[in-house]
Amino acid sequence: MEFSALFLAVTVVMLVAWWGSRTLALGLFGATLIAAVAIYLHHATDVLKLSF
Amino acid sequence: MSAALAVTLNALGLYAVAFVLVAAFAAQLILQELPCPLCLLQRIQFTMLAIGPILNVRFGPRPSHYAVSLLAAAAGAAFAMRQLRLHIMPGDPGYGSALLGYHYYTWAFIGFAVAIVAIAVMLLFDGQFKQADAAPPVPTSAFARAAVWLVIALTALNVASTLLECGFGPCADNPVVYEWLKRSP
Repeated sequence: MEFSALFLAVTVVMLVAWWGSRTLALGLFGATLIAAVAIYLHHATDVLKLSF
Repeated sequence: MSAALAVTLNALGLYAVAFVLVAAFAAQLILQELPCPLCLLQRIQFTMLAIGPILNVRFGPRPSHYAVSLLAAAAGAAFAMRQLRLHIMPGDPGYGSALLGYHYYTWAFIGFAVAIVAIAVMLLFDGQFKQADAAPPVPTSAFARAAVWLVIALTALNVASTLLECGFGPCADNPVVYEWLKRSP
């Protein structure tokens, strides 16, 4: 679900970058990047089931 | 380098991102290998890499637009490196198939590294920024417009594909079936 939302957010940023305001596109890009890093950190802190 | 040449090179960059997204879809559909959560994050960073070139095509080249792509590439490289390190132990078969000897996350790391170098090279040419604020945006060619719409369409396709794969719940760590296509017992 979170990945679909991220892809949707990137699609919206692209549409704003192409049709809308440059400042808004840059702001939305920043918010989407922060969300992506937050999701990565959430997964990266999972306990790993390593075989060694 | 003129602004027009820089815009053309940015359009070529968009076609390169489109190629990566098509290759990822090909692996998913032909080899029936569903992307894992880390794989999806790397795919997302490839789409975010395209936002800088779209801004350059629309508004003309600016350093801030290249910075957008640099941030996306740096995050993507970090995500790919995380997956590389998960499978770095000798004897680990890795995740998914290998293509030309490297797994997808290794290719993704190489791709992000190449993007960082390419953006740094583009930033060397100050001539493209000379009239950034004074002049109207460079008129866009059909070649550049097609690149923009191709990348936007592929990103939108990823929304549908990820919804099919994960549904409205969390994505499986090692997905083997599309959640929305799974038949109930």
